[in-house]
Amino acid sequence: MERQIRYQREADLEWAHRFTQHPGCERLLSCIQCGTCSGTCPLSIYMDITPRQVIAMVREGFRDDVLKSKTIWLCASCYACSVECPQKINITDVMYRLKREAIQNNVFPKRFPIPVLAQEFCEMVRRRGRNSEFWMVFRMALRSNPAILLSMMRTGWDLWRTGRLSMRMERIQRVNELQYIPAATKEVD
Amino acid sequence: MSEQRNGHVRIGVYICHCGANIADTVDVKAVAEYAATLPGVVISREYKYMCSDPGQELIQKDIEEHAINRVVVAACSPTLHENTFRGAAERAGLNPFFVQMVNIREHDSWVHSDREAATVKAKDLVRAAVMRVYFHKPLEKRRVPIHPEVLVVGGGIAGIHAALTVANSGKRVYLVEREPTIGGHMAQYDKTFPTLDCAACILTPKMSAVRAHPNITLWTYSEVVSVDGSVGDYKVVVKRKPRYVHEDLCVGCLQCIETCVYKDSKFDDEFNLGLSKRKPIYIPFAQATPKVVVIDPDACIQLKTGKCKKSCMEACVERGAIDFAQKETYEEIHVGSIIIATGFQTFDPRRMPQYGYGKYPNVYNTLEVERLVNASGPTSGQVITRDGRVPKSVGIVLCVGSRDENTNRWCSRVCCMTSLKLAHLIKEHTGAEVYIFYIDMRAAGKGYEEFYQRVLNEGVHFIRGRVAEITDWALDPSEAGKLVARVEDTNTGFVRRIPLDMVVLAVGLEPQPDAHEVQRMFGISCSLDGFFLEKHPKLAPAPTYTDGIFIAGLCHGPKDIPDTVMQAGYAAAEAIALADTGFFELEPNTAYVVEEECSGCKTCVPLCPYQAVTFNEEKQKAFINEVLCKGCGTCVAACPSGSIKQNLFEDEEIYSEIEGVLAYA
Repeated sequence: MERQIRYQREADLEWAHRFTQHPGCERLLSCIQCGTCSGTCPLSIYMDITPRQVIAMVREGFRDDVLKSKTIWLCASCYACSVECPQKINITDVMYRLKREAIQNNVFPKRFPIPVLAQEFCEMVRRRGRNSEFWMVFRMALRSNPAILLSMMRTGWDLWRTGRLSMRMERIQRVNELQYIPAATKEVD
Repeated sequence: MSEQRNGHVRIGVYICHCGANIADTVDVKAVAEYAATLPGVVISREYKYMCSDPGQELIQKDIEEHAINRVVVAACSPTLHENTFRGAAERAGLNPFFVQMVNIREHDSWVHSDREAATVKAKDLVRAAVMRVYFHKPLEKRRVPIHPEVLVVGGGIAGIHAALTVANSGKRVYLVEREPTIGGHMAQYDKTFPTLDCAACILTPKMSAVRAHPNITLWTYSEVVSVDGSVGDYKVVVKRKPRYVHEDLCVGCLQCIETCVYKDSKFDDEFNLGLSKRKPIYIPFAQATPKVVVIDPDACIQLKTGKCKKSCMEACVERGAIDFAQKETYEEIHVGSIIIATGFQTFDPRRMPQYGYGKYPNVYNTLEVERLVNASGPTSGQVITRDGRVPKSVGIVLCVGSRDENTNRWCSRVCCMTSLKLAHLIKEHTGAEVYIFYIDMRAAGKGYEEFYQRVLNEGVHFIRGRVAEITDWALDPSEAGKLVARVEDTNTGFVRRIPLDMVVLAVGLEPQPDAHEVQRMFGISCSLDGFFLEKHPKLAPAPTYTDGIFIAGLCHGPKDIPDTVMQAGYAAAEAIALADTGFFELEPNTAYVVEEECSGCKTCVPLCPYQAVTFNEEKQKAFINEVLCKGCGTCVAACPSGSIKQNLFEDEEIYSEIEGVLAYA
């Protein structure tokens, strides 16, 4: 059994303070924990912790707990929570910030398809300047749950047969020029 | 030059230790010694507590024995003790406006830690005051007489209570109400929290008392249209709208309503919020005060087309109270003070479409449910939904239009308790499962927490979470034909879907839609939320910045009935005190126009926030009404020819003060 109680030394208050300085996270401290975000969220049915709890954990500095959660990866950026929030908190932006930090700190759920997909997408665009759907889905499945490929075979076959799925690996010319952009953003971060 | 004008100037400087408050950070001895060297200073002393009796006597003795004619007191803030030291000077026979205070506590010792620098600052401030006080002139406080009559605007519980209190003290009161009856929102409520006594039972005796009181002139269906003048003498014009019925002739037999050509009631009954219908000729509710019918000009056939057989008139032929030719009239009154109790409106939940108010018939607001549970309401107290069912599950959604950056930011204060009360009443009437969706349960008040406990023990479900949406979209067979609230139950930590037969939105309270026009007409201010602004949030919560105008009840901000009554009583006490004093003393720091220099450019006229500056067309000069002037100095600064001056802030006083503070010791 895992210890569920939290000691105050585990709370990184400095991180919490810095977090509220990031763009979009400024109003985090005005959260009144009403749960409108969770109630509005169409994906809350699958979340391990609710968006409201994410905000509470961030505010209290429980960095590892929040970065490990699946919730931040399930956010589909529909912005329903940000629209309804009575304190006008940009919850979607908070989620993005958390995803970033989870990748930087390498604490995200390793075989969870969403961060894998995000990484594969970025990597593919960085390398070739274009996204080739077949290969991306293939690589995502390999890294997260290879067994899923079997169940996807039939759909894949139908798509390929009707010309909806190309196995060509596409790329743009002078991809090295595109690579300046992600490199520059890394520097800023 | 100035010595000639001010006679021989002899200044006394008094430095206060304020116990350790000042003396710990400022070397008071050094300041006193320094002050003694300044020109014009005859005596310079320091003392432990200048504001104490011996401290004041020190000043008085110096004035009498050493012929001191200017006093500088370096102590705390003038808001605290200016009157104390002015009084001391006055008692010794010196004009109180020869006293100048220097704030070396809030402005110096309390905000600095470097003793040496703080002492230098104290010297600078004292020097500035000494140089300023040199030029002070003797001023007289002006007194304006107060008319003893009081106007009360708004006939809700606040206006009723204020009017009765003032009237009981023997003063004449004019009570002006916009609707055909007094009673306000309270008359619509069923029970009152937390004691559950019936609102009508406690309110209607007070309404009758207003009607019967010899000192109260009650004008319903009337509105204030203009206010002129200032404290002590406000000239108010009241428009009396035609109700097409002579108030003095109608006895309230209601025969006319029965015989109206409309056999069925067809028009929305405002008192029941459209949950029932009324005829063009109607009485708002059974205990309406005055008990006089009123004709709705937008519904009455005679008033719309002139082609009705006027059966109402036939029914009233003996008394002849009905008069279709009635026109609006205007009454002009003079009053000494005004109590504004114009009330509030409830938040329109259509502004939050996610709750489906106006879309789903079984979504109600709290005021509608108050009428539903009321025994004299549209359903005679039966809680039945609009589709005719007795609800088996009812959800009450809190903070609808409160605590929300998208609508209103403030907490409306009463909705928690109103919801607890309605939960109790609905459970009592129907036996339904009741869910209260709340963010924070605010039950602060005498007996309120106990009531919360009582409702908890009655088995009402308290779900801590703000409802995200109300839909009629069933995701589960158990939800078919019901409304569903989707909400995070933050106590259990998961999102829930709760099927409901009836949803009650606990709507927030907001300023009346015409609050800003009322505010401008009476010359008072509004806070950011649009409610009227009090003079001081703690110590003067009923007076306003305009002397002689007081506010009471929900026009000042959300509050419950006991708080409303308390504020109304307080406003009444202030109005009575003002009337009994008989006069009002004005600070002489007002601005005045030097007529020879005024070019008549009118720059100052629109700038005055108190409407004190007017333009004399005959002389082509600006004129400042001293009674209205608050001494803000806006016109003084704006006047391009420098022909507006202000007592206590004359140019030479300000310039020498600046010179003094900037000079190097």
